[in-house]
Amino acid sequence: MHWPRGVRARLAGALVLLVAITAAILGIGTTVFVDARLHQQTLADAADQATFDLTVIVPGRQLPAHPTQDDITRSGLVDTFRQRGVETVIDLGDGSTVQSNDQLAGLLDQLPPDMTARVGRGELAYSWLTVAGRPRLVVGGLAPGGGPAFYFVRDVSAIQEAIDQLRLAVLGGSAVLVLVALLTARILARGILAPVEEAGAAAERIERGDLLARVPVTSRDEFGIWADRFNRMADTLSETIRRLERAQHQNRRFVADVSHELRTPLTALVAEASIVGEHLDALPPDSKRAGELLVKDIGRLRNLVEELMELSRFDADAERVALEPVDLGKLVETVRAGRSPKARFAAPDPPIVVDADPRRLERIVANFLDNAREHAADKDVEIAVARRDADIVIAVSDRGPGVPADRLEMIFDRFTKVDPSRSGGSSGLGLAIAAEHAALMNGYLQAMNREGGGLRLELVLPADVAGSLRAGDAMAT
Amino acid sequence: MDARILLVEDDPSIREITAIGLRNAGFTVETADDGRAGLDRFAAADFDLVLLDVMLPRMDGLEVARAIRAGSTVPIVMLTARADTIDVVVGLEAGADDYVRKPFEVPELVARVRAALRRVGRREDDASATLRLGPLTIDLAGRTVRRDGAATDIALTRTEFELLVDLARHPGQVLERDTLLDRIWGYDYLGDSRLVDVAVGRLRSKIETDPAAPELILTVRGAGYKAAR
Repeated sequence: MHWPRGVRARLAGALVLLVAITAAILGIGTTVFVDARLHQQTLADAADQATFDLTVIVPGRQLPAHPTQDDITRSGLVDTFRQRGVETVIDLGDGSTVQSNDQLAGLLDQLPPDMTARVGRGELAYSWLTVAGRPRLVVGGLAPGGGPAFYFVRDVSAIQEAIDQLRLAVLGGSAVLVLVALLTARILARGILAPVEEAGAAAERIERGDLLARVPVTSRDEFGIWADRFNRMADTLSETIRRLERAQHQNRRFVADVSHELRTPLTALVAEASIVGEHLDALPPDSKRAGELLVKDIGRLRNLVEELMELSRFDADAERVALEPVDLGKLVETVRAGRSPKARFAAPDPPIVVDADPRRLERIVANFLDNAREHAADKDVEIAVARRDADIVIAVSDRGPGVPADRLEMIFDRFTKVDPSRSGGSSGLGLAIAAEHAALMNGYLQAMNREGGGLRLELVLPADVAGSLRAGDAMAT
Repeated sequence: MDARILLVEDDPSIREITAIGLRNAGFTVETADDGRAGLDRFAAADFDLVLLDVMLPRMDGLEVARAIRAGSTVPIVMLTARADTIDVVVGLEAGADDYVRKPFEVPELVARVRAALRRVGRREDDASATLRLGPLTIDLAGRTVRRDGAATDIALTRTEFELLVDLARHPGQVLERDTLLDRIWGYDYLGDSRLVDVAVGRLRSKIETDPAAPELILTVRGAGYKAAR
């Protein structure tokens, strides 16, 4: 069974979106927060260290008020700081500098002017910048009592590395979360859809006529309640159908039994009437007319019983179709010659030959002709056989009174007599029987009023009866 | 025509009126009202034709037909309540030559009986001749068929024999069902072509080596049958 993917896709989409948005917010938030904290922490450390260095270490070396490069070198300050991982640039105030690392030679020019200004005023100032391709934190200040300006330079690429690792972790975590969401969606969808699919399968079985199909009730949730209701509906439905079937079966059985029981006395009657009919002239005048009516009415009774039996065989599904190649022109001509020699017919040229059940075709055409004879006895009747698209159409047209438009559909129903005064010898079953024969060959009958008056009856058959029956079987099984 | 007919029918009215109709037509009629009585009556006297109801008490018409067929080629016409496949085909396969559907008009029944009797009475003009079909030798005068190398004749009913002869006379030529119906059964167009199909089936089961893959009598789909050249 094919189920549309809609619910699964929507559920998965919603969950993934939810997880992705949550992961993004948490990831970005965490990164930003951690980034800020790390910078803050590093800055605080650096400031503390700088303050300590400027207020304790530098005065301890007792530099002169205006030290030269040699004084600085001799003091060993740069090496001391360096051992702690801090590079140093010292502005001697006369335009010259001492630096722990040659890469830092142009550092002072890169610093924002207000920083050097603040350092010049004796404040502690800092700046984040990139020197020689690496992110650095520069903290500058003066020793108490003045002297040269010290700029302490720390390599802070560790912060960036930590942030990068954090990003990677967040991304990886998010990917895992999305996978988990997809999996969850799948499991959820299965849980939700399984009862729906079971219900669908049960409904399909019922549709195919298995009235015992039910939905398993496995839970007490909304689905359980729904399944319970579905099953109760199916119970009621199958009970009603069974009751109707039983009634219909009894009804049909009764018709079949009645017509069967009528058959034996009818056989005697028909045989007897046929002998009376041969000797009508020998009867006294008083009895002769009664004899004539007797023979005629027994004929009517015979038609009725035979047609009822024919219909009850359809109702019992006891009919089988025997297909063989049939030359329709030839078949129609044979029936015409035997049934309605006055009807006009020109066999199609080239001949139309199809696989069909000739016995049933004969019966349909004969019943069409009987209908025309009955309603348009002495008028012009025309038969036509032709192809129409993928169908074959056999039509009998008369010039009788036609049928009121609102009753056209009903003329193929059993015992329909459009004009009861004209019922003649007809049982009112002929066209119903023809319709049953047509349906067995996957064809159908239709009736229409003709322009200029009269009725046109059509048998429409698929040109490929065998193929159409096979397709029907394939669908049924 | 003073042919003797055995009528086996259980319903008294049908039996009586049918007997009256047949006697009016000049036949001598004996009747029986159940299958066993019918078989006893058949054994006790010579009949030219048997009219057999399908539904009979004690022993049904199909069994009676088989029992008669076991020792006789007398024409058997079944009276069947239904004209649909089962009754007709089963009846013909039980050995009946023809069937008349109930209800029937007596003149119609008489016509069918006469046609069946005519077939029996038919004699070949060139009665001395023999026909060949594959390994079969058909002796028209003796009305026998023998396979080359076989010690005994193949037992065929009159209908089967007539059918074989008609086909063997026209090797390679397609004979339509309606043509065969007309020639063998004496039917006009209203005949039932299943008579031909069933009779061909029975004939094949007797003369073909493998009736499922016939080599002597071939089916021409949509047309009829032909004898192999």
